[in-house]
Amino acid sequence: MSLRTRAPAPETATPETGHAGPPLARGASFRWRGPAAAASFLVLLVGGWHGMALAMDSVLVPGVDQIGAEVLRLVSDPGFYTDLGVTFQRVALGFALAFAVAVFVGIAMGRSPLARRFFEPAVLIGLTVPGLVWALLCVIWFGVALINPVMAVALSSAPALTLSIYQGTRATDAQLLEMAHVYRFSTRDRLRYLWLPSLAPALFGGARLGLSLAWKVIVLVEIFGMSSGVGAAINGEFAAQNVAGVLAWTVLFAVVMAVLEYGLLQGLENRAGRWRKVAAV
Amino acid sequence: MSTAVELRRVGKSFTSTRDRRTEHVFENFSLTVEPGELVALVGASGTGKSTLLHMVAGLERPDTGEVAGAGVDGARRRLGMVFQQPRLLDWLSVRANVEIALRSAGLDPALADAALRDVGLAEYADKYPSVLSGGQRQRVAVARAFAIDPAVVLLDEPFSALDELTGRRLRLLLQDLWTRQSRVGLLVTHSPAEAVLLADRVLVLAGRPARVVREYRVDLPRPRAPEDPELFDLQRRVVADLL
Repeated sequence: MSLRTRAPAPETATPETGHAGPPLARGASFRWRGPAAAASFLVLLVGGWHGMALAMDSVLVPGVDQIGAEVLRLVSDPGFYTDLGVTFQRVALGFALAFAVAVFVGIAMGRSPLARRFFEPAVLIGLTVPGLVWALLCVIWFGVALINPVMAVALSSAPALTLSIYQGTRATDAQLLEMAHVYRFSTRDRLRYLWLPSLAPALFGGARLGLSLAWKVIVLVEIFGMSSGVGAAINGEFAAQNVAGVLAWTVLFAVVMAVLEYGLLQGLENRAGRWRKVAAV
Repeated sequence: MSTAVELRRVGKSFTSTRDRRTEHVFENFSLTVEPGELVALVGASGTGKSTLLHMVAGLERPDTGEVAGAGVDGARRRLGMVFQQPRLLDWLSVRANVEIALRSAGLDPALADAALRDVGLAEYADKYPSVLSGGQRQRVAVARAFAIDPAVVLLDEPFSALDELTGRRLRLLLQDLWTRQSRVGLLVTHSPAEAVLLADRVLVLAGRPARVVREYRVDLPRPRAPEDPELFDLQRRVVADLL
């Protein structure tokens, strides 16, 4: 298996044009049909679940009303926000560490064949080790210290992020790098004005994948080795045999992640891609 | 008088990755550009014109010999370069594209507005390059090259990707900039008309390894008119050399 990819040919400018870009706004009907389709799925899921709960009549499959009551209980408890904040802080620290390492290693791999060969095994091993293994190993190695969840998150998300940045680096326009060399851009300017904007799509793609892995691992780490955070709270509900509580935590965690995805990540992505929209108008 | 750009006994070869054959593009090639001189290099595709420009720009190293001159080598290097494509950072405004070159050259970024005014793009300073036409984008590239007060301006087929009328307008703009302030320049072009209009000297390159097979001195004062019969006669002779 190899990480080598073919870099796409750089775009060439067309004389007296420059309005190439994605097609203009889709029809107004699509604007409503998209959310309506997603809402339909959620209604079907909730309805299907409730139907299954009624049919089975088991404490192992609580009804939507029971899960809803648990959700209300959790959100009115200040401890919920404390646990959420603790988990969020651990993910943020681990992800920041992974991001810094991935930017450095990913760009080095894209620029130097020697660096690619050196780091390739590390990335491949990192991609294939299950998050559960990282969670267990970090609990064993680091115990209950903060470094445990931070390292587990960093180790599980860095390989995917590195691979994404490496591929983005390979696709960076070599002509712009030549221009930066001729005009003697400083290292800081190259990173800020050339590399990061060029890598933005890869960074956001990698961040999404990395974060999705990080959320899964942090919950495992908190279940196995921590006394606070969302994972520890879910473990508490599990120990109390409160299935509705486990599901309520899961639902709320998913909602918070969705808010982060659409509110924060997509907002940043729109901001970074502002110039594309201007070009398309 | 010290030379502005000097290639001393330069050698450059490439090895084909397909059949491992080595092509000697230059062997013991020497060239001198005097201060205030714009030299045009013309020749068939593959003669090594762009390779030569890339060696002066520091994008490629000669295998043997050296490239020297004030503003070309080492820490003193200050080059303005206009490529075939504008090579702008599409995510920065037009002004920011010029500012970053100024800052990199240790100059005041506020000079960007004056540079854009010189190429007729003052009102586009806050736009993104992607909303400009191809000709306007190439004007930004010209503004960037001249804004930094370059020791040498390198022009690598700068207008070949543009349509005839736009290319003509930009050639006249370039001549205007050159007339206002004499600079040292190397122009690589496939267009004999462009070469004789802009350059003080036209060198015809041919062969492998490449050598200068003909040299023309263009002693006509600037600004020159593209329809000038003397230019046209010179152009005809360059074309005859190339055919």
